Amino acid sequence: MRQLVIGTVLLAAACGGPQSPPAKPAADATPAVQLGGPPSSAGTATADSGEIQPADPAKFHKEPGYSPYAGRRYPERPYFGDEHVHTAWSVDAGGSGATLGPEEATRFARGEEITSTSGQPVKLGQPLDWVAITDHSDMMGMITEIKGGNPEMMADSTLKRWRDMFNGGPVEAKKAVMELVAAQANKKLPPAATDPKFAKSVWAKNTTIAEKYNEPGRFTAFIGYEWTSNAGGGDNLHRNIIYRDNKDKADQVLPYTTFQSENPEDLWKWMTEWEKTTGGKLLAIPHNGNLSNGRMFALTTFSGDPLTKAWADARQRWEPLFEAIQMKGQSESHPSLSPTDDFAAYELWDRGNLTQTPKKPGMIAGEYAREALKNGLKVEQDLGSNPFKFGMAGGTDTHNGLVAAEEDNFFAKFPSAEPRPDRWDEDAMNFGPDRIVKGWEMTAAGYTAVWSTGNTRTELWDAMMRRETYATSGPRMIVRFFGGYDFTQADATRTPSVAGYAKGVPMGSDLPAAPAGKVPTFLVAALKDKFSGNLDRIQIIKGWLGRDGKPQEKIYDVVWGDKDRRTIVDGKLTPVGNTVDVATATWTNTIGDPELVTVWRDPDFDPSVRAVYYARVLEIPTPRWTAYDAAYFKIKITNPKVPMTTQERAFTSPIWYSPK
Amino acid sequence: MRIRTILAEPMLHFVLIGIALFTAYRWVSPADSGGRRIVITQGVVDDLKAQHVAARGREPSTSELNHLVESYVHEEILYREGARLGLERDDIVVKRRVRQKIEMIAEEDASTRAPTDAELSAYLVANQARFVQPAIVSFEQVFIGEATSGRRVAYAAAVTREALRKGADAEELGRATLLPHRMARTPADLVARDFGASFAAALEKVPVGEWVGPIDSSFGAHYVRVSHRTPAVPPQLAAVRDHVVREWENERRQRARNDAYTKMRAEYQVSIEAELTTERR
Repeated sequence: MRQLVIGTVLLAAACGGPQSPPAKPAADATPAVQLGGPPSSAGTATADSGEIQPADPAKFHKEPGYSPYAGRRYPERPYFGDEHVHTAWSVDAGGSGATLGPEEATRFARGEEITSTSGQPVKLGQPLDWVAITDHSDMMGMITEIKGGNPEMMADSTLKRWRDMFNGGPVEAKKAVMELVAAQANKKLPPAATDPKFAKSVWAKNTTIAEKYNEPGRFTAFIGYEWTSNAGGGDNLHRNIIYRDNKDKADQVLPYTTFQSENPEDLWKWMTEWEKTTGGKLLAIPHNGNLSNGRMFALTTFSGDPLTKAWADARQRWEPLFEAIQMKGQSESHPSLSPTDDFAAYELWDRGNLTQTPKKPGMIAGEYAREALKNGLKVEQDLGSNPFKFGMAGGTDTHNGLVAAEEDNFFAKFPSAEPRPDRWDEDAMNFGPDRIVKGWEMTAAGYTAVWSTGNTRTELWDAMMRRETYATSGPRMIVRFFGGYDFTQADATRTPSVAGYAKGVPMGSDLPAAPAGKVPTFLVAALKDKFSGNLDRIQIIKGWLGRDGKPQEKIYDVVWGDKDRRTIVDGKLTPVGNTVDVATATWTNTIGDPELVTVWRDPDFDPSVRAVYYARVLEIPTPRWTAYDAAYFKIKITNPKVPMTTQERAFTSPIWYSPK
Repeated sequence: MRIRTILAEPMLHFVLIGIALFTAYRWVSPADSGGRRIVITQGVVDDLKAQHVAARGREPSTSELNHLVESYVHEEILYREGARLGLERDDIVVKRRVRQKIEMIAEEDASTRAPTDAELSAYLVANQARFVQPAIVSFEQVFIGEATSGRRVAYAAAVTREALRKGADAEELGRATLLPHRMARTPADLVARDFGASFAAALEKVPVGEWVGPIDSSFGAHYVRVSHRTPAVPPQLAAVRDHVVREWENERRQRARNDAYTKMRAEYQVSIEAELTTERR
């Protein structure tokens, strides 16, 4: 009952989002200055040499040979997807009225137009490359499926009779249901009906749908589920479980539920057992540290004991990624933890846990990714293992089956918050006075970009496992981030991946030991989403363990748009400006740059201390979903607290440095 | 305390409603022999064991099994007591779950027969456009710059052309970009995902094996060479069978769900006896 009440209340939690059809401003209206040298002309030096180049073995692989696939040794493009989708088959989603199931959700993610629960036609601006439908793992009894008319079953006279009754009139059908339900309750179902091979659970239906829509090379439909631990009544310790394998393995064991345990350590044990039983592979992605009231990255175990090396090893092994942004806000950084970060105050849900039980002082330190990355260095120093060695992911956590995280196409989290004039001003969550989240606080985010060698379950999963991923707040910007000791500015003038993989390691990796006298260098590059805003800047965020054992951080602006008119004054880069016309929800790409690339050398490197580096890419300001709502519904949003513009962003997985 | 105040007391209402419910229940409920008797038959135990195996991949131990039985009894008692009070009846979550179940039954019912080739062919013919096999292209590209018109573009294109003629390595030409330098055997619609629709469309028309340009993408102008191209073809059932089956089944599933509702709706008489206009004042 208690669970039901909580569930029902959660359902009431709605959120806002816009719906106006894409009225996007013309991208690239004005060509901006490009990084890596001004656009004097197209050709590079070789263009004028007029000489045949001497044979260079390093270039042999570039000659187009017979095999069109040869030479593909590293990921050439990121694949965008959502690892966090609920459909009507999740109790809270179905209970809140969502009618779209996993099949509709998957079709939508693939780019099909469908009708939302509230009856509105909707389609993604750009299809996703992959999706993981992650309905909550509690089961839904489906005894009645036996009535399908399967020939083997029809050999049983009772089943055949029921089947015929179902196909008779409504009165007959009702009688059949009554009989069936009674037989099931009294455990008197005919043996044929309880044969495990017919006892199709919702899980098996779920995996069937994933299988049907999984098309290697074109679209990946992962098998997955969410393990939804709300410890202590709403401390969000949720994890999405992503399967590397197919239905044959996934169906062998049912998903783990929180009825069994709310302790993540038990989940890891279950995952260990699962891999042993099936020979398959799993990984878990935690989310919403911001709603965990200090528990997501606590420096103690679930039961309050000190961390151990075994614990740290297990967490690192099973949880290679963390979902740092989604519709319930971002968990990358918080202004109180990073007072020098001008961009941390972004889409914050920082007043309570999932049920809005208020936070106590100190809790926030255990909730955000950046702080965890820094604390992980300390744990590694003390215990010899870093539990928080994770990469970055983004998801929607939609509960209406629609992965619509675009600002101008925001279908929000629950059916009640699908585009409507009032949604911004309604309560997204209401757990009592002072425990309210407003509709406008909903975030139109996010997706995960995976640098994978191809679009298949195994390739994407392997890339997630090696953390070669980044999170975006929605736009599909392309971001590269490599670390090494020998990058020079010249490497920023060609395709970054060539030098990146040849001379360094990609996002998610460890830097090798520093050669004597060498300093880490980073090759970082970003290309705008072709439909979204230009880029404001790229930052590299460094965390390190001071010699006193205290974690530290510093943010470096390493490259920015409009280089000719912007500079660093008193340690701060001058702002990029703002072209957003809120009234019409439009902007122009007349500021910022479409593409940024540079090589950055850590000016403060100390080879004796542990460090972690990641890149954050910021777009120029663009209209937030609230502005699209206001323009489309012709409403006035007068509350000054409601942001009407946003600075979309991406955060990459980190690169770690450890002293020898 | 005045009588009026007492009558307004919520607690009193609660007690009265409770008594009324209880009396009504005693009156309408037939003597339900199973009502307060729970028998743990071998069937129940087998079921609990099977659920455990499904969830954990192994048989439960004796103590686990005892625990499972105790939880079963616990849940059964609370459920029955709740149901006795009719708590399941107006519960919106229960209602929606039940609705889902009956919709699933309708869908399952429809999905027992595999489509015939004739049905699939007819479906394919009726939905030709949805199943067109996109062109497959292999190409290389040199990024000239963001501008797509003007003297600079023409100049840059000319410089690139000349360099390529002299045997320059295409990867060393043009402006650095994060866009893939080449794509192999890629369907045109996936090319469009990276470069934009007009670029992908252009690749279907340019001569094969030659460097040509400038060609515009969503990012700017490019010099391109298509090395291999299979044109888009109208679909043959054999080539797109899985796709057609999937779409055909999806349509049947949705139709079954809607038909089931339409049929049931026809059995009901719905009279609306309330004001439905909600125009804002």
